[in-house]
Amino acid sequence: MKKTLTMLTIAALLPAGVVLADDDGCSVPRDQWQPREAALQVAQDNGWTVADFEIDDGCYEIEGRDADGREIEVKLDPATLQVVEMDYEDDDDDYGTAADNPAPAGTVAPPQNGLFGTGTPPKVKVN
Amino acid sequence: MKSLLSTLVLTTALTMPGLAMARQVTLTTNLKTYGGDGAYLALYVTDASDTYVGSLWMAGGKSKYYKHLTGWYRATGGDTAQVNGITGASVGAGRSLEITLDLADALFDAGYTLHIDAAVEDMRDSPNEVSVPLTTDGVGTPVTGRRYIADFTYDM
Repeated sequence: MKKTLTMLTIAALLPAGVVLADDDGCSVPRDQWQPREAALQVAQDNGWTVADFEIDDGCYEIEGRDADGREIEVKLDPATLQVVEMDYEDDDDDYGTAADNPAPAGTVAPPQNGLFGTGTPPKVKVN
Repeated sequence: MKSLLSTLVLTTALTMPGLAMARQVTLTTNLKTYGGDGAYLALYVTDASDTYVGSLWMAGGKSKYYKHLTGWYRATGGDTAQVNGITGASVGAGRSLEITLDLADALFDAGYTLHIDAAVEDMRDSPNEVSVPLTTDGVGTPVTGRRYIADFTYDM
């Protein structure tokens, strides 16, 4: 209970912009939120194993594994507990496919957008 | 075959002056120790009328997260072709991303602005962390970021 209260307090302290900032986020007034226990019940009903439970973009977010053992990240609308977004962390069965990802540097030439003075790909170091 | 070769040599020679109008620029982005996962960073350029011109680098390979780079995403509609061949790994907190590239000469002192959008999983999106006019005067001058970026500098 104390934890719920703390979470609610933290959530209440966050500026409204956080909740509204994202297209795929949730924007539900706090007084319409269902308790986290209800969200965890949804997880249980679906056979998900919950590794992490938090609030992100105004949604309940569950990270864990589905009934088949695949890593998932699910966002639930805090009022309706409907699934807003479901990502499979192994990437292949995502909304898009891995083919939607851009080609890494070095595999194809940089785009001809007029910015690159030559066709030389950028060199990158992370220190 | 021979004539094809000489044509190639000739055309290459003719385009050389255009290609030579570039300068090697190093873009250094130092991240804060914000205590989170690796940051996705989109580096892109707009012109004097704030219209998107193109991207210079995308740190972070999974396009499903690009919508969190809201400025870049709005400008490009999330078109991954914009960052084909200029995409690499996301950048960890406290790390420094150093990009060396040949930038078209015409971009300097002509009203172009370099922007960096940043996003970190489970943390707040931060479009336009850095917005810096590309000028020869600005070379070597660090620009402070807002949320995840400590500072950004371009050198040549």
